[in-house]
Amino acid sequence: MLDFLQTLSDGVLFGAIYALIGIGFTLVFGVMHKINMAYAAASVGGAYAGLLVLKAVVVAPAWMVFLGAFLAGGMLGWLVYVTCFHFIPLSSPLAPLMSTVGMLLLIDEVIVHLTAGMPQNYPAMFDDVMLRFGEFTLRGDLLLVFGISVLAMIGLLALLYRSRLGLATRAVAQQPIAAQLCGIRVTRVNALTFVIAGLLGGLAGALIGASVGALSPLLTTPLTVKGLVVTVIGGLGSIPGAIVAGLLVGGFENLFQQFRGVTERDMYVMLLLFAFLVFRPGGLFPAKS
Amino acid sequence: MDFYFGLAQTVGIHTLLGLSAYIVLLTGQVSLAQAAFFAIGAYSAGMLTVLAGWHVVPALGVGSMLGAVTACAVGFPALRVKGLMLVVATLAFGEGVRLFFFNFDYQVAKGGIRVGPLGGEGFRQIRFFQEHGWTTGEVMLFIWVFVIAVMALLWWFDRSRYGAVLRSVGEDEVAAQSVGINLTAVKVSAMTVGGAIAGVGGGLYAHYTTHIEHANFNVLLATFAIAYPIVGGLRTVFGTLTAVIFVQAFLIEGLRFLGDWRNLLFGALIVLAMNLRPHGLFGRHGA
Repeated sequence: MLDFLQTLSDGVLFGAIYALIGIGFTLVFGVMHKINMAYAAASVGGAYAGLLVLKAVVVAPAWMVFLGAFLAGGMLGWLVYVTCFHFIPLSSPLAPLMSTVGMLLLIDEVIVHLTAGMPQNYPAMFDDVMLRFGEFTLRGDLLLVFGISVLAMIGLLALLYRSRLGLATRAVAQQPIAAQLCGIRVTRVNALTFVIAGLLGGLAGALIGASVGALSPLLTTPLTVKGLVVTVIGGLGSIPGAIVAGLLVGGFENLFQQFRGVTERDMYVMLLLFAFLVFRPGGLFPAKS
Repeated sequence: MDFYFGLAQTVGIHTLLGLSAYIVLLTGQVSLAQAAFFAIGAYSAGMLTVLAGWHVVPALGVGSMLGAVTACAVGFPALRVKGLMLVVATLAFGEGVRLFFFNFDYQVAKGGIRVGPLGGEGFRQIRFFQEHGWTTGEVMLFIWVFVIAVMALLWWFDRSRYGAVLRSVGEDEVAAQSVGINLTAVKVSAMTVGGAIAGVGGGLYAHYTTHIEHANFNVLLATFAIAYPIVGGLRTVFGTLTAVIFVQAFLIEGLRFLGDWRNLLFGALIVLAMNLRPHGLFGRHGA
């Protein structure tokens, strides 16, 4: 029983990262009704860019690396918007899907090229802290990951529901043409959505690096798949859905990793997704249409 | 010369993979499960020739049928969801199949050595062509017989009533439904035909490489499958063939002299191509 709880809590804490990645996918989908396949790759790319801070400032503390990743993620988000969405007409839904796949491959290869494919060590905070409650422990670095993710989500929700930009974003998501008639610049809102999603992604990438201890370009594909799974389980376009689904998938996969082994783990995650598609195709929080 | 025969084999197999996604894309559905049907064809045809000692042609037939049956079975639940949900559903199915083969052991002793799929180590020694003394040129011709047959079939589909029905569903589902077209039947049938084509391609792939493992059938392969028809444009089957030649012969083999930089250029060229020609290299002009 204790084993079970321990595994579950570790997984749920790590699941906060999946939630962040899921939010990025869902945010872009909600506003543009397009999928950004390059998102997870850009997130990992942002985290790598954070390492450049270590090169520039020799003994940079971990928070500076995180900040660097956060900002670089935002810039990559904008880059993805310009290269893969801005110039492609809305009438060709397949083109941005393909161009973002091209971007995914490009970001992956740039990382491989610059690091010679070697995994890079990533700084962590509080990795020597352990909270103990008898036999039950909470890892300090995972708690930090969880805490930062929650703060980022609160920040995002505040931005969306308490600011003019958020109002514009939600207006574009609901009715792009009506929003344009009200004087909202749709392309600017779209670009800003990508930047915001990118900022979250860069942060998520850095948190993955910190909790795993290293970054590798091999992370991008599994992260893309997990992010999409979380997005669908949560309900496309629903931010609370992505948060709940992220934590759910994190806990679920860690349980199966513990009891069925790492090679079978993802198979059960896919089964979970299929169960959702068959019995609840709208996800946890289906969009009202 | 063997190099060019080898290249032609790769182009042929990837054309089959691309065509299996092409027919599904005609109905407006994006399926990332084609790599899974490809894997099912590869493993089943390989097991039939190696473990059961079948000739390669019936083995390919069974691989193709299994691909079609799985595609049909996946089609029903997966096509309840549309658009991006379908992308994710089929992606998840594809990963599920890959992970199944990652955990799949079925070995028998044969002539002192154990043969058959062995989990993460893959499935070695699918040596039907070598054992029967086929030359590279003959294998290439064998593969292209299938490619040309499938291309002719799809070309004929395009000119038949069935092709018009497929495209009408892809253009506008509501309009298609209002003239009495059964959407589910059309989509599932396209998926089934696609699964059969991918199954043949997979069987050929297994025999041509002689060694397959789960990692061959990852998301990247699934993305390539849909990339060929999208990059080539959905107007005719030749778009897919041209895209395969563009990617496999030009981007991958032709740019080999660039070394590491080739991979960088690869992604960038796809991005550029989609920006300049959003409807594919040979797609229609304008919106």
